[in-house]
Amino acid sequence: MSDITHPIEHHRDDEGTRLGFWLFLYTELFLFAAFFLVYSVYRSSHLEDFKLAAESLNTGIGTVNTIILLTSSLTMVLSLDALKKGSVKLAKTLLLVTFALGMAFLVIKGFEWSAKFEHHLFLQTAKGIAAGHGSPLLTPGSEMLPVGQVLFFGLYFIMTGTHALHIIIGAIWMLIVFFWMSKGSVNQDNHGVLERCGLYWHLVDVIWIFLFPLYYLVA
Amino acid sequence: MTTHEQSLSPRTPIMVFGALIILTIATVLLSGLDVGNTGALLIAMSVASIKAALVLYFFMHLNHEPLIFKLFLGVAFFTLLAIFVLTFSDYSFRVI
Repeated sequence: MSDITHPIEHHRDDEGTRLGFWLFLYTELFLFAAFFLVYSVYRSSHLEDFKLAAESLNTGIGTVNTIILLTSSLTMVLSLDALKKGSVKLAKTLLLVTFALGMAFLVIKGFEWSAKFEHHLFLQTAKGIAAGHGSPLLTPGSEMLPVGQVLFFGLYFIMTGTHALHIIIGAIWMLIVFFWMSKGSVNQDNHGVLERCGLYWHLVDVIWIFLFPLYYLVA
Repeated sequence: MTTHEQSLSPRTPIMVFGALIILTIATVLLSGLDVGNTGALLIAMSVASIKAALVLYFFMHLNHEPLIFKLFLGVAFFTLLAIFVLTFSDYSFRVI
């Protein structure tokens, strides 16, 4: 009786896995919602400063980055569709394109950030400003920013920084999935992990869709 | 497999992508209008919401998911709404 070997059967519930992953995505959404809430409260109390500070952000760069992220979302969708159809090679290429677009977004963001560093706008504390001295990064003799603008740039760095961190996580995840696709363990039948990686990537895109107008457009 | 007879033609994603790009350009152009702070915020957030809905529905395949997925989205949305409304119902009437 015991010499009968059964093939190992893994029970797989794709729909349940996806639902669970959506739940995780909602926790991510609420992480960002807290930032958006703080942004809207401070915006309503420091409207003029927020508008002035937002003018120093380059709308052109923001628009280009938005288009880059939207394009990367498209290539992600097409990559998953290709894998579902069985064309692993196309799926892998499209995943690499998605990865490259994510990197392009980060590089542009990096240039944007470094320009802000040079103007000493990085994380100045309102308390330090109120006490008459800026953050340690503020060079002596340069002008102090009004508290409202300090809040704006603080939120700008925290929110785009947390967003960039998600881009990095998504990009690393893509490389891992790419490796698994090369090995063959992620394939036409077993594409759940690419699907979840895609859902994660699209959520990061959705968050950017709201960050973009709030920082670059409503100045 | 899991998704019921889902069409894998690239037509829908590419059309959705086109709409997203058009909306992005539209929101940049509309931000130049002089409609006051509330007006600008309203326009920008409306366009952003449409874009987010397109991504959720088509790119994240909510259109092919069972009802429970949409209910989850609804619950998350109303929780968010409650948090924002409650915060501002307090904050707007504070005397500082």
